Amino acid sequence: MKRWNIYTPEGVQDILFESCRQKRLLESKIRDAFRLNGYKEVETPTIEYYDTFGGERGLINQESMYKFCDSKGRLLVLRPDLTVPVARVAATRLRDEPFPIKCCYIGNTFSFDELGGGRQNEFTQAGCELLGINSAEADAEVVAMAIETVKAAGIDEFQIDIGQVGFFKGLMAESGLSEDEIEEVRELIDQKNLVGVEQVMDRHKVRTPLKRIILDLPKLFGSKDILHKINPEDIGKEATKAIENIKEVLEILEDRNLAQYVSLDLGMVQSLNYYTGIVFRGYTYGVGFPILSGGRYDKLVEKFGRECEATGFSLGINMVMMALERQKKLVKQEPEGVFISYEKNARKIAGDYLRQLIQNNCTAELDLMQMETEESKKYARLRGFSKFVCIRNDGSREEIML
Amino acid sequence: MRYITFALSKGRLTELSIELLEGAGIDCTELKEDSRKLILSDDKNKIRFFLAKPADVPVYVEYGAADIGIVGKDTLIEEGRDLYEVLDLGFARCRMCVAGPKELEGKMDSVSITRVATKYPEVARTYFRHKRRESVEIIKLSGSVELAPLVGLSEVIVDLVETGRTLKENGLVVLDTISEISARMVVNRVSMKMENQRITKIIEGIRKQL
Repeated sequence: MKRWNIYTPEGVQDILFESCRQKRLLESKIRDAFRLNGYKEVETPTIEYYDTFGGERGLINQESMYKFCDSKGRLLVLRPDLTVPVARVAATRLRDEPFPIKCCYIGNTFSFDELGGGRQNEFTQAGCELLGINSAEADAEVVAMAIETVKAAGIDEFQIDIGQVGFFKGLMAESGLSEDEIEEVRELIDQKNLVGVEQVMDRHKVRTPLKRIILDLPKLFGSKDILHKINPEDIGKEATKAIENIKEVLEILEDRNLAQYVSLDLGMVQSLNYYTGIVFRGYTYGVGFPILSGGRYDKLVEKFGRECEATGFSLGINMVMMALERQKKLVKQEPEGVFISYEKNARKIAGDYLRQLIQNNCTAELDLMQMETEESKKYARLRGFSKFVCIRNDGSREEIML
Repeated sequence: MRYITFALSKGRLTELSIELLEGAGIDCTELKEDSRKLILSDDKNKIRFFLAKPADVPVYVEYGAADIGIVGKDTLIEEGRDLYEVLDLGFARCRMCVAGPKELEGKMDSVSITRVATKYPEVARTYFRHKRRESVEIIKLSGSVELAPLVGLSEVIVDLVETGRTLKENGLVVLDTISEISARMVVNRVSMKMENQRITKIIEGIRKQL
């Protein structure tokens, strides 16, 4: 039975020729940007133990991971993410490395969650992690790096939204809501559901100024002016600290002339179990999902045995490809290279000519099928060659620009 | 300027939405015409509309094929898409309920329920898993769900209840309310950020009328 032999599994795809070239080009531009900014690339295995991501630590839902067993019956997964493996490496192999550690990666990740609207179950992520520092400088550095990466990818209309999970956590701590209620409020705020938040808050006695800010949270996004709406006296210590952190990060980004790419969203409250400080997401036209996300995760590396504050981001290469395509920013390959057709006795001359071209870094290909001249030219054009050369038995050469 | 695209639910919800959209300064002339065009537009404000089956509206909006959608809360909770739910438009009000024979009234906590018939399998599954910590067999039906307990297909149903008349006439009662339902306006997460000013203006224009 070979019912499935000609198909690829759901959510994965072949990437061929021109799209593959575009993708590699994009990856190399991003890799250059990482290298120029001092991030050193690491490669971690495609398969990891389930325990690294799931189990009691529960960083990633078990149902979103591809699982299988090794020869000893231990549960393995296809990595759903690359930040967690980097955190594992930082705590183990790099345990004696002095801080800060600047890591970067480009690799494929796998998740059942990500399907539809251009998302595949296998997708390429490129990202940077800055390990061993907790400061506004480090937070801003990673946001700046995200901006540089998007620019290097060739997208110039984009926006990075910054939030701070400490703000929400602080407000909730002040409010006295129970854990379940906090989760309910978090979900509603994440959906910008004003009415829903109001309904939950109406069930509780929370002092008015604080309540007003919680009700406003879904609307607290946009330019930095929204920060003026917040009175530190209303929100408690933790939330105030979060606001100070955001202000400092914004100042640093202004110094780096990157402020025009940045806006705020204090209602950004996803993945609270993972992030501990600044969080951010990147958006552009043409795709319905963020192209990048990141933030501070000071408690993650610790789970692997080394205390280490950290921040980072990862960018979805496939999403960026789709955005570039929709924004008509993909640069088509110009015709280039030489296609060499030759008569039988000119084989050696043709071979020498081929080698010479390749040594000079020019794409060249022999007409291996010995096609008729017109057919040969047609093939050369189809394959994107710019020049057609025919070598005759007497060694004479006819050159045609295609 | 880019077009902002609305996905509207075919049928009653759209009729009720037109007034609100016009009140927010959007020209709905094309939308009101009986036309076979699939995409209708207000070229002056750079706004486009298309009509879709209600269950598809959240999909269009989540994937960014539409920036804004108008759809019932019942569809939103069933589809569970990742969206911004920005406004309760207040019309098409009803309740998502668990209903069953009168004998079960007040005994929901003590009897164990094994079969649930519904048009909303995700809503039913989530309710029984979270609220009642039970795994039940969900039987998906396409209509006349009230029939199921009468003919012994299931013990209870999960369905929308507006006036409760159909239930009453068939000897059924509401056993628990899962959620209040009404028409909602949803926005794609990226559009909300990239077209913040224009979308906020539309939201505020509609909010003022509610």
